[in-house]
Amino acid sequence: MVRSIRFLAMQAHCRRFFVGKTAVLAVWLLSLAATLPAQQPNVHYLHHGVMPPGAIGGQRLQRGGPLPGFYQPVEIKAPTGVLISLAVDNQFDQAMPAPRKAGMLIGAVYRLRVTNIRLAEGLEVFPTIEIIDRIYAPAGQQLRFAIPVELTEEDLKLAIQGKFVTRVIYLEDPRHALPAPDNSPGQNWFEAAPGQDPLAVADGLGRPVAILRMGARLPDQGLDAFFFFGSPPFVAFPATPKVNLLPPPPAMPRGERQGMVGSPTSSQNPVERRP
Amino acid sequence: MKHSVYHQPNAPLWPGPWRMALVVLCALILCSCRSPGKLGATAGLSSSAGSTVGQASRGDTLPREAYTGVPAAGEGWDRLSTCPTPGRWDRLSTCPTPGMERGVPLPYQPQGPWAPPGLSRPWPADEYIRDGGDVGVPAGVSGRGELGGLEMEDTVAHYDTLDGRTLVEPSNKVYLYAPRFGAVRQVVGLVAHEERQHIGGVHLPEHLESPTTLQLVADAEQNVQAAGEATARPAVALRTRTGDGVISSVIHPRAFQDAFKPFENLSVVRMGVFEGAEMPFLARSSEAAIAWSHIQAVQVILDHTGAMAEVKYDKVLSLYTVSSPPGKPKLRLVKVASTPFAQPGDEVFFTLRFDNIGNQPLGNVTIIDSLNTRLEYVADSAQCSVEAKFSTQPNEGDSVMVRCELARPLEPGQGGILRFRCRVR
Repeated sequence: MVRSIRFLAMQAHCRRFFVGKTAVLAVWLLSLAATLPAQQPNVHYLHHGVMPPGAIGGQRLQRGGPLPGFYQPVEIKAPTGVLISLAVDNQFDQAMPAPRKAGMLIGAVYRLRVTNIRLAEGLEVFPTIEIIDRIYAPAGQQLRFAIPVELTEEDLKLAIQGKFVTRVIYLEDPRHALPAPDNSPGQNWFEAAPGQDPLAVADGLGRPVAILRMGARLPDQGLDAFFFFGSPPFVAFPATPKVNLLPPPPAMPRGERQGMVGSPTSSQNPVERRP
Repeated sequence: MKHSVYHQPNAPLWPGPWRMALVVLCALILCSCRSPGKLGATAGLSSSAGSTVGQASRGDTLPREAYTGVPAAGEGWDRLSTCPTPGRWDRLSTCPTPGMERGVPLPYQPQGPWAPPGLSRPWPADEYIRDGGDVGVPAGVSGRGELGGLEMEDTVAHYDTLDGRTLVEPSNKVYLYAPRFGAVRQVVGLVAHEERQHIGGVHLPEHLESPTTLQLVADAEQNVQAAGEATARPAVALRTRTGDGVISSVIHPRAFQDAFKPFENLSVVRMGVFEGAEMPFLARSSEAAIAWSHIQAVQVILDHTGAMAEVKYDKVLSLYTVSSPPGKPKLRLVKVASTPFAQPGDEVFFTLRFDNIGNQPLGNVTIIDSLNTRLEYVADSAQCSVEAKFSTQPNEGDSVMVRCELARPLEPGQGGILRFRCRVR
């Protein structure tokens, strides 16, 4: 077959062009397979625990997810006898004994008033709670698995003495949780070393969900809207869900009771004679 | 002009080196994909080593007369057992793909209200305690009989087959919604400004009136003899006397106690047979309902039109006969928990139902459950419906690894229940 030189040159040029394009395409595909898309770490390293209340939660809302408008159940625990009030319309509502459950918005800051502290009955502490993340409890279990925020007596005393106490509550990773049995009445907590950021420490241990700040005394300018952080809305939940108890069983005949061992109504029971 | 020298009508578009490079590149890409079950889920580790093969070939573990050849499984399980590795329910028709989770999903799996698109539930993982399955490095038995690849939260059973292999079968995963919270505290004091003014100098114009010199004693000698020496001599022996008391002990029966518990009210746990009535519960699981669909198609459709009968005479063109291999060993391991939600301090029952759904007896059946860090095994709470030997050993999560070794080979169609109790930390 007779071909012209120009045709052969164009054929060779097309061949080189095709091979070169294919090579570039293969290298590009390999580069796609080699580099995975960068994933944003789910931590708060860009934030700091000493940021003003509301800053961390507000930035958390911008990261997406079903967070805006969700009322995360929070259980506020305190020593026996302590009364807790929540802010409603720039004033505190009726003080209720601890524990107290409430649904709080993520990113909002809630001001509390804690009174009737043991050995400091005349003093008040005004902590704040900032919810920075939520948990995803199955349907019907939200109230049972509320985020616990503990106001320990030691922290309250430190706040009264003028110290500023910050507690970052985090959700433990079950695969890296402490194996210690949960025999202590309170939750496990760590003390952040001086100079450490408690939020960064909590990030290393799990997923921070709430920040408790305590130590703010009554401001000199009085109770204003800034002190209450706008009094964000909350949903009040009963601290202990009501349980419909079954009616007591009908009383047994007197003769059968006497034969029962350990019955408290039996006159033959030695336990009953104890003082 | 004629250029017959350069004319190559059948010349390839790619030069030779480029073609070779492309072949090598494709081979590298294909080799980067891991094949299923290579590392060990089934016979990869055991058959290659050989010592286990030798034990079974001597016939001292599984007697020949124990083989009955009666498979007790349904159709789905027969198909499942043909796969080289155990598969999921939604992968009954085909063998599982690498990386897919194995085991049988069961109902009552808790799920949160939301999960990011593309992520499997339950989500997020830090709110759930998982127990069961074989995640991560697949578990396998080496030639020395050592079980490897069993990580925390894994539950597997390994057994010997008649042909000398040692197979590993994971259970399904059981999730407990049990979040636990901790706290990090920091106490900061008020910042105060303090300033100390140091003394610049001291001028004492008064001089000493009279110097006083103290002469130290250069040498001392004690001439008084010691009156006595008081030492404390500890007791070198301890003698005790035991009173005339009576020592009594109560020996609990070692047999399987209690009847079935409410959370075990599944036919697969009670009798080892799956029933269609449990389909609504199974529908809660992800794609489990696919496995329960019938193979029969819709026969009649009534949509205000007369039913049309279609008669077709098809002739069999070709007949294929598929002969199954003589032995299909298969162990099914189903795990359930007494509750899907637990708080620290709660006790949870775990029940494992194991069945020989193959057509040959299984020897040295051993069920191993490596518990999560937050699960504390309640001592002496394990019981089995068949004769078995229990033992525990610590795992890497500061919990224990519950080990149950069946004393006798498991015949086809036979099964049992293993139950133990854990306390949520």
